[in-house]
Amino acid sequence: MADAAVLTAFLEASVRLGVPLALAALGETLSERSGVINIGLEGSIIAGALGGALGALATGSAGVGVVAGAAAGLAVALVFALFVVLLNTDQIITGTAVTLAGLGFTAVVYQSRFGTTGTALTLPTLDPWPVPLLADLPGVGTALFAQAPTTYLAYLLAPLLWWLLFRTEWGLEIRAAGEDPDAAAAAGVRVRTLRVVTCLAAGALAGVAGAHLALAHTGTFSEGMSAGKGFIAIAVVVLGRWNPLLVLMAALFFGAASALQFALQTLGFDVGYQLFLAFPYVLTLLALAGWVGRARAPAALALPWPRDGA
Amino acid sequence: MALDDARLDAWAGEVHAVLGENGAGKTTLLSALAGLVHPDQGTLRIDGREVRLTTPRRAWHEGIGMVHQHFALVDAMTVLDNLALGRRRGGGFRLDRPGLAREARELGLRVGLDVPLDAPVGSLGVGERQRVEILKVLLRDPSVLVLDEPTAVLAPAEVDGLLELIRRLALEGRAVLLVAHKLDEVLAVAHRVTVLRRGRTVLEAPREEVDEGILARAMVGAEPEPLARRPGPPSDRPPVVRLRGVRVGQRLRGVDLEVRAGEIVGIAGVEGNGQRELARVLAGRRDPHEGSVHGPDDPAFIPQDRRREGLVEGFSLTENLALGLHDDPTWRRGPWLRWSALRARTADVMDTFGIRAQGPRARASSLSGGNQQRLVVARELQGRPRLIVAENPTRGLDVAGAAFVHRTLLDRVAGDDPAAVVLLSTDLDEVLALADRVLVVVRGRLHPVPPERQTREGVGALMLSGGGVGP
Repeated sequence: MADAAVLTAFLEASVRLGVPLALAALGETLSERSGVINIGLEGSIIAGALGGALGALATGSAGVGVVAGAAAGLAVALVFALFVVLLNTDQIITGTAVTLAGLGFTAVVYQSRFGTTGTALTLPTLDPWPVPLLADLPGVGTALFAQAPTTYLAYLLAPLLWWLLFRTEWGLEIRAAGEDPDAAAAAGVRVRTLRVVTCLAAGALAGVAGAHLALAHTGTFSEGMSAGKGFIAIAVVVLGRWNPLLVLMAALFFGAASALQFALQTLGFDVGYQLFLAFPYVLTLLALAGWVGRARAPAALALPWPRDGA
Repeated sequence: MALDDARLDAWAGEVHAVLGENGAGKTTLLSALAGLVHPDQGTLRIDGREVRLTTPRRAWHEGIGMVHQHFALVDAMTVLDNLALGRRRGGGFRLDRPGLAREARELGLRVGLDVPLDAPVGSLGVGERQRVEILKVLLRDPSVLVLDEPTAVLAPAEVDGLLELIRRLALEGRAVLLVAHKLDEVLAVAHRVTVLRRGRTVLEAPREEVDEGILARAMVGAEPEPLARRPGPPSDRPPVVRLRGVRVGQRLRGVDLEVRAGEIVGIAGVEGNGQRELARVLAGRRDPHEGSVHGPDDPAFIPQDRRREGLVEGFSLTENLALGLHDDPTWRRGPWLRWSALRARTADVMDTFGIRAQGPRARASSLSGGNQQRLVVARELQGRPRLIVAENPTRGLDVAGAAFVHRTLLDRVAGDDPAAVVLLSTDLDEVLALADRVLVVVRGRLHPVPPERQTREGVGALMLSGGGVGP
């Protein structure tokens, strides 16, 4: 009985920890498929967390907070997209700058609004919303289907994005822009427009991921609370081989790896907790070496285009 | 300044050929039609209406379809997806693959273009890619069809088919603009001819009023000397390279070949029969799965795809030449390269090889196709290699450029210390004109051609039949 409880708690934590990664990684999948690697994802997540916190605080509604978080994430991505797509700057460097700027800027806003010593912020939270029928499934029901509503967004987005990428003309154009932008442009595809749009979508989703962190997990905001999730999301995209369905799986797998530390501690394994903290990353390395090996990134990923400026 | 006062008129129902030396501005002029480059001056009218083609999309909308010289296809996608790309038949959403496949098959049948719809483009040979590219353009039913050097990559039988197709497309009421480098092809198919020289239109005339001599003079300003066929006494020197029982995957099987100093061995074949692999084994660029290769350490290799394999496009001319020389102590002082000396040398090489560029510091990507090829040839032939492997070395070159490459190869097998040359080419005329011995490669096997069958018809038949007289 105790074991069953531990298992349920483990599954619940896996989903809870995996969802923000899934949201951010699904957006990143879209932008990488169009040829843009957004290292600034972390900046969008932290902006989304602060935007979500401020929005929820101002209106008293966690739902408004999520929308505000999406807007904040999108605003950060807009800066990134302007530089990378329109000014053709280096994607890695620009993304790094955007992440650092996002972390710094949110800290400044937070401190000026709430002071440096302030007591912990308490926010309206995104309450779990059990899906009728599904939440009653034995075993996995509560873990998968009694979660914050943002969770279901991730569930729905994965098949939706898969359909968009592989079954629609837009998806074909996005993938062509990521494989060979010259050929795509010659066929009449608006490569830059597409790339800006996918970057903005990725930013908005990363913003929702950030809002989820602030509003569904903790009900508070703290500086640097994104804690590298933007970078992990980029690894998740690779792990999911740029396929939205696999990316969702990979994000949940990563969530499970993170949740495992809690489960093992609960079960009384007395090993340094730092070791557990490292566990997901070790798993990622192993998975990258074994499973991704033959998967191929979009050929034009991270390359400036057009090559000769203009 | 690729174009200066160029003029071009195309009429519906006519094939209009555009001729010119490499670097004369043909591709630039046609790219302006495709919306890829934007003229600083001048006007473009379609049916009398002035238009500005700022993007490829606009060009499509105006009914201009371009078949690019370096194909604009996405390698990682299937043929069908490439055909669907950018058309938005379903308004962005519905990707109607079965419907498009049906349409493509019908059109393919009507115009005689057979392409494997489900194969990834990256797995296709050059000739097949070109058929895909043409079909892609035709599916949009353009009123102006632009083909940039479409015959450069094809085998003779394929060329005839393409020229026939071009005629038919014009008869359907399209204006067809054709850039070609072979005068006989142009004369066979064109209704009207425009010649560009150094970015200017120097001649425009109906087909009836011109002949090869007039065109050649207009292009280069003087008539090039015809290539004299070299008598080929059997060489008694020791072999420079020797292949025994070489196999590469399924693409090359049981290949034995010896090439001696002082001879040019020509290897003819339809694209995609194993030439690519054979060239790379000979040039020491890859190891065979089976069999032995004995050859010099550092053979010269002139690859077919100069942009991908021959040059570093982002490097200057000097840097590209230095890549072949960086081990040579002459050009080093301690760990440093002697750049100023290398630049001076590059200027010499530009002179010797007739490379038209802004200077030794110009980027290789700024050169026209023919000038890039001269640069590759110049780099590979510096330092007197004992073995020269040339893979379609005159692909996409004009008369003068091709003659230059041919002369250079012939020079290297003459004299007291000659090199051995292997010429792999889909251009049968080239092989017959240059080679001492001819072999055909069919489905990965080499078949020697007996001297009495070394004619266009004889070799052509062997290429297609599967080498009936082989061992």
